[in-house]
Amino acid sequence: MLRRFCLLALLLAPAARAADPFVDVTEKTNQKVLKVFGAGGFRGATNYSTGTLISADGHFLTVASQTLDTSELIVHLADGRRMKAVVLVTEPELDAALCQIKVDGKKPGEPTGLNLKDYFDIEAEAKRPHAEPGDWVLAFSNLFEIAMRNEPVSVMQGTVMSYSKLHGRRGIFDFPYTGDVYVVDAITNGPGAGGGPLTNRKGELLGFIGREIKNSLSETWINYAIPTDATVTLRDGDKTETVSLPEFVRLGMQGKYKPRIRPVAASGPGGYTGIKFVPNVLDRTPPYIDEIMPGSPAEKGGLLVNDLVSFIDGEPIYSIKSYHEYMKRTRADMTVRLEVRRGDNLQSVELKLGEWPKGMLKPTVTLPPEKK
Amino acid sequence: MPNLTRFLRTRVTVAAGVVAAAAPLALIPPATAADVDPKVKAAEAERVKAVNLVRPAVAAVCFYGGQVCGSGVVISEDGYCLTNYHVTEGISPVMQCGLADGLLYDAVIVGQDKIGDVALVKMLPKKEGDKFPFVQLGNSDDTKPGEWSMAMGNPFGLALDFTPTVTYGLISGTQRYQPPEGKGTLEYTDCIQFDTSINPGNSGGPLFNMKGELIGINGRGSFEKRGRVNSGVGYAISINQIKNFLGHMKAGIDTDHATLGAMVITDGEEGGEELNKLVFTQILDESDAFRRGIKPQDQLSAFAGRPMSSTNQYKNALGLYPKDWRVPITVRSAAGARKEMLVRLMGNIDTFVGEQEQPNQPKPGRPGRPGQPPPEQNPAQAKAKKSPAAKLVVEKKGYANFHFNKLETDRLVAAFTKQHGSAAAFGGNWAIDGTVQLVDGRSGEVKITWADDKEGVTEIKINRNGIEDSLKPLSGNLSQAELALPQGSGGLLLALYQLRVFLTKMQAGFNPNENIYPGFVHGGTEPVYPMPADVTSKAPPAATRTLCEVIRTKKGQFEGKWFFDPKDGTLVGGESWFDKGEDPCELYFSDHKDVSGVKLPHKVAVRWGDKGYAVLTVKSYTLGKK
Repeated sequence: MLRRFCLLALLLAPAARAADPFVDVTEKTNQKVLKVFGAGGFRGATNYSTGTLISADGHFLTVASQTLDTSELIVHLADGRRMKAVVLVTEPELDAALCQIKVDGKKPGEPTGLNLKDYFDIEAEAKRPHAEPGDWVLAFSNLFEIAMRNEPVSVMQGTVMSYSKLHGRRGIFDFPYTGDVYVVDAITNGPGAGGGPLTNRKGELLGFIGREIKNSLSETWINYAIPTDATVTLRDGDKTETVSLPEFVRLGMQGKYKPRIRPVAASGPGGYTGIKFVPNVLDRTPPYIDEIMPGSPAEKGGLLVNDLVSFIDGEPIYSIKSYHEYMKRTRADMTVRLEVRRGDNLQSVELKLGEWPKGMLKPTVTLPPEKK
Repeated sequence: MPNLTRFLRTRVTVAAGVVAAAAPLALIPPATAADVDPKVKAAEAERVKAVNLVRPAVAAVCFYGGQVCGSGVVISEDGYCLTNYHVTEGISPVMQCGLADGLLYDAVIVGQDKIGDVALVKMLPKKEGDKFPFVQLGNSDDTKPGEWSMAMGNPFGLALDFTPTVTYGLISGTQRYQPPEGKGTLEYTDCIQFDTSINPGNSGGPLFNMKGELIGINGRGSFEKRGRVNSGVGYAISINQIKNFLGHMKAGIDTDHATLGAMVITDGEEGGEELNKLVFTQILDESDAFRRGIKPQDQLSAFAGRPMSSTNQYKNALGLYPKDWRVPITVRSAAGARKEMLVRLMGNIDTFVGEQEQPNQPKPGRPGRPGQPPPEQNPAQAKAKKSPAAKLVVEKKGYANFHFNKLETDRLVAAFTKQHGSAAAFGGNWAIDGTVQLVDGRSGEVKITWADDKEGVTEIKINRNGIEDSLKPLSGNLSQAELALPQGSGGLLLALYQLRVFLTKMQAGFNPNENIYPGFVHGGTEPVYPMPADVTSKAPPAATRTLCEVIRTKKGQFEGKWFFDPKDGTLVGGESWFDKGEDPCELYFSDHKDVSGVKLPHKVAVRWGDKGYAVLTVKSYTLGKK
């Protein structure tokens, strides 16, 4: 009997493989994924991302990246339609942007009449138990901007390595999300992949592929996704409250989600060190320290006048301008590691950044023109 | 577009570091057999079986001397091996290939496709008659995103005994377009994208489906800032594209890709919610598209059976075909009339070769090979000269290796002669008696005669129902109208003249070998669309497509092409040009019957451009001896 069973199993095995289940899942999931393009059409390395459809009315989620800083957001649907889209609301601490496809002639808030068949019901998907380390995952995205119009997005496979928090990466790449993530063993987080769905082998939504971030210790890229039920604690002035991704979506769709007041605006000067540099007269004035404010993080960290700032968190700093540009991405309470040249030696100093004292003149940084 | 993609030729120096880094990963103890689900075991066994099936045929393509440059795969028992052009480019013509048996075999370049980044090399057996392990070619059009795949090869030049590395992953996308690198070369059209790991040294290696069928040749990836190692986005040239060029490459040809001879753009790039239309803007006078009556603003709605709505789709479809191939296209005129037609594709290599051949300048866009001494000082090259493979190299413009063209020509001529017999004994005057049915509905008796005068100048005459046309093709100073006789046939007399030269004299009857288009060469493979025997048939031309082997001929200034069934060498058709800027007169042969020991066609359909001209039915041949 056992032998007969084995024989049967062997005969059936090839047939089961021929109908590869991932092919169907890939085809179905592709219908729920959008190619998102920011300003300037299709040029610029990071001017594109991936969107995941979450309503029949054309709502979709993507990462809250600079791709969205445009009034000309364009999406390509799986069937090849090219349509405009608008950002409804973003929540940096979930690294999520709720957007919607715009239909000409329809006012904001009006039903779009799109009646899309394929989308993820995020409330229902978020109730599913988490995937475990070792489980299969499929990642869908338009990484490297490979697909246009009705060309299907790319599918990649891997397994969940761990479900945990990403520590110590904030600031380096302006990554405000502090909740749990799925870390996966495939290279899913290529340029433009952020916002695409991470599913299990059945095509059920596990989370959203995160933006590109690098581990500053090992200088390797991290492949991760923010889970569908991601929950974060937000500070709103003095209050704290928790918000989950499905809540953000539900309130956002109703126009009721109020973005929180941040302690430091994203475009501000960043955290405070208390360093003053020599006069910035050249385009590339070397960042020699000219003055250290009393009681400042720089003084506490032991920096000295005439130190030359050479690296912050391993990134080379060439000029006063590049110092300020880097610091823009930091904020109060973060710790940064500075390497300074003092005489012939490199000194390494850790600074816990503070808030800018009231009334102190903040540096103005002009960003170089964007390359087209 | 920033420079996102790079190619994966190995740089051997990285190998040592990678070996060291890989070692600690192997320390996790394997699960015991009892823990594992039988289904998992069965799937694993199947995978192992597929790997073992193809493993012996995976090659490491090396400089002469064994330094690994890339990978390859053997596709026939006589040692034909596919790889990337960007792998052989620096090591041609004589190289070595290592197989999983641990042996290095001498090898020689056969043919190449610079634009498609494919090269065909032939490995020499250690002993004459020894057979190589080889893999089966799959059908890459059946490959779908979400299927599993295996990439094999020799990444980082890792295995010094040439045992291939296998990696396993998913097909991420199909019909991908990746633009050319360098001046028009290395364009990946209709390629396969996968997350299967490939690294420097994997270039030229095979991508298999899980049946162990070859579905592509790996050669490229998207890397950007991730560095020149696996980024989860690799590309393979689809095997179905390679199949279209394989006949050319086997014939030693330095193959060219195609253009339509017309500019096609997307209509309303910015505006449209709906899919784009592709419309013609400029059409070259000398192109087939022009002769078929395509006008600016006409819409290209399908190309070779694929609907067209984006330039990526168009470039993908165009990239599948070699120059001179005929493909069906569907055009919708501005007024809305839809028309399916056959067009002959033009070449595109001249455009960029012209740009590239700047005297005393390095080739732009191609990375140098640091540490590689120039060939004349390279000891590997000096050694390669003594290889038996070096005797199999004949240089000629337009060919990767003309030696293989001669081999293929001789083989095809032998197959044809075996099938048809030889008409060499019948060097005298010829005549045909029969009937003709013209496309305009007229029909009647026909007589065709070939007669040589004392100087050997042939005069050919055709007489249908008392109306006679005649031509002395090599008598000089003939007008186009005379060469194109009978009117409306595109030069049937000239075509029949060449047919007799071909049948009676073969190679000896045509021009001695010339530089670019020698007088009698193998032209690879081309699709032929035989005209239905019913001259008035309105069947779509694509329906009769058959892939044929080609002999290209030149007699005086007149070019011809002869098409053969690759299975048995049967002559199925021919084309004859009275002017290269015009459509050729097309002949389609059927009803082959024995005449004095020579099998000759008794039904000949004649077409010119997109119109049928006539069908000739032969009652009798009269073959004169010299």
